[in-house]
Amino acid sequence: MNSLLGRLVCSANLANSLGKRAISTTEKLCLFWEKDDKGGYTDPLPPFTTRMKVGLSELRKEVVLWKEEFKEAFDGDPILIHRPGETDIAWRFKTEESLEKWKVVCDADHNEGYSQCSLTRNNHGNGVFSGNINLRVPKDGRVKRAGYCNMKTFAPRRSFKREAYYDWTGYNTLVMKVRGDGRTYLLNLATRGYFDMTWNDMYHYQLYTRGGPYWQIAKIPFSKFFFASKGRIQDEQRAIRLDMISAFGISAQDRHGGPFSLEIDYIGLEYDPRHVEEFAYEQYELENGLAGT
Amino acid sequence: MFVKRLIRQGVSIHKLKTKSVPENFPKRCFQISSTQFEENKSIKIRDPFEDVKDKNKDTYLQMINIFLDRDHVYRRGHVEFIYAALKHMKDFGVHRDLEVYRSLIDVLPKGKFVPQNIIQAEFMHYPKQQQCIIDLLSQMEENHVLPDFGMEDQLLAIFGKRGYPVRRYWRMMYWMPKWKYASPFPLPDPLPKDTYELAKLAIERISNVDATNQITIYQTGDITDSVDDTWIVSGQSATQKCLLSENDPKDPVFVEGPFSVFLHGNYIYYFTLRGKARPYDNSYQDPDEVDKIEANFFTYKPPIKSIVKTPTVHEQEDGVIYAVCATGTSSKDSLLSWIRHLERDGNSVLGSLPIVFTLRTSNREIATVETEDQRREKENTQIGDR
Repeated sequence: MNSLLGRLVCSANLANSLGKRAISTTEKLCLFWEKDDKGGYTDPLPPFTTRMKVGLSELRKEVVLWKEEFKEAFDGDPILIHRPGETDIAWRFKTEESLEKWKVVCDADHNEGYSQCSLTRNNHGNGVFSGNINLRVPKDGRVKRAGYCNMKTFAPRRSFKREAYYDWTGYNTLVMKVRGDGRTYLLNLATRGYFDMTWNDMYHYQLYTRGGPYWQIAKIPFSKFFFASKGRIQDEQRAIRLDMISAFGISAQDRHGGPFSLEIDYIGLEYDPRHVEEFAYEQYELENGLAGT
Repeated sequence: MFVKRLIRQGVSIHKLKTKSVPENFPKRCFQISSTQFEENKSIKIRDPFEDVKDKNKDTYLQMINIFLDRDHVYRRGHVEFIYAALKHMKDFGVHRDLEVYRSLIDVLPKGKFVPQNIIQAEFMHYPKQQQCIIDLLSQMEENHVLPDFGMEDQLLAIFGKRGYPVRRYWRMMYWMPKWKYASPFPLPDPLPKDTYELAKLAIERISNVDATNQITIYQTGDITDSVDDTWIVSGQSATQKCLLSENDPKDPVFVEGPFSVFLHGNYIYYFTLRGKARPYDNSYQDPDEVDKIEANFFTYKPPIKSIVKTPTVHEQEDGVIYAVCATGTSSKDSLLSWIRHLERDGNSVLGSLPIVFTLRTSNREIATVETEDQRREKENTQIGDR
């Protein structure tokens, strides 16, 4: 008994003197229902009284939004014809308020790395997504790899915090006018579904940048976007549902550390009648039990 | 049976004794040293890969062979060995070598981990071993190493058809070739280590926007009074020469930089010769615009006046790019030599134009290729700070 206690104390001392966990742990894999749609990355709720105060002030804004919605419903002039060769701008950075539509996150925000990033406007009214990717993994025994910076739009919504989607069914190409630094960025189109399994559904494609002082216009057909969930490419691929876009994002996460910068003039959508491909990846049936398990 | 085993082991012991092991190779693997509970109470983990003096592919493969020879009867500790080996691949410079990855996979026994029934197949038979090889494959993917079909045979022999590493291999073989040549701005693989070659690649890549671009290599030594003796990779197209000659003599041109362009982990600093932005007449009247149709049946003239010259790619909203360059020293003096060279090389207008140097920092290395040691050192100091 004595020896056991002694050993325990000894090992506790050892752990303290090292200042870190001496036992390696394995990440758990949860295959059951997820209750949190942010995967545990939500901040704790503020106290009840603050919530009430904030909630009441929110109510006023929501009623204004609701009124606008009604007006728009009576006006009712949605875009029905998407003329080929014409780019409809989805996001742009001409005003300071346009930055409020974007959320910028990096691994350091969750204590899972040391990257930094920001989204700002420059003198010419372009958005500049820049920062520093740090591949250093924090020594907490939990995180295996680090180094990402991400900007994404807030989910579209209707009044009273009701969820909504962007409907891009009339378009088939994503158009971006960017000036990069030669890195490869990842474009993310989130299509959040109703069930917990589909909360993290996302479609990705790479944005290759040239680098240098010249602007480039990248046109990427939606058929090229591949399906992934939580950053893992899925075996069973299917074409993106363009009426279910819940967010658009750009990630800087190529596995080279260092500063990066991406200047964005606009992010737009286009209908290209010459592009008839529905989905760029094979969709044949595989042997039972091999794919998607 | 017992006799048989005795004979076999005896042979193996004899083999080990006669095998010549290099001096600098550690005698025992993966053991916590006996100093563990001494006064300082710090765990010292002896890592055989760290102790190797000259780190290259041969010594790396030798390490694997030593591991295989040591316990070739009842081999154990595969997973620990593979993880340790994976950790040190970059130090040995073998992280992009397929052969090394294959010989690491070969450490695992064939047939032992193949599931024998449906339950084993479903519940990840030998999970640590499978996860280890999955991590190995993901390290391959991270280093852009494409597996070959021999690796499939290996994995099938080790884990069977239902093994997770085999499935990961199949996924890699489906997706990785798709992205290998997807970039519209391709670079040679492997990239040259020399900064001069990298600078040439970078300037070529930047100025490829114009089909008439021309890369010229200048030497600063050719200019009298130049202090530096280095190279200049300059990119200027025929269009840019034409644009530069049209520059208003009153408007100055700017030498700006350094800006960086990123080529697979290497930053190359470049400079631009920029002029004032030219106003672009955007007041083009669309003849098909419905609300401005005029019924001028008799007085109609074709709208020749409304023809607008399309701006070239060099006429950006923040200025006109006349040339780009990268120099060996990135110093102000070398840029001065660059301007002199451009002036000689068909841009005689530069002699009369005012030239403004707006450099953010005067002296900077052309490329920062961080070595593993430097990174570690920096890391350690940062940890100390925190």
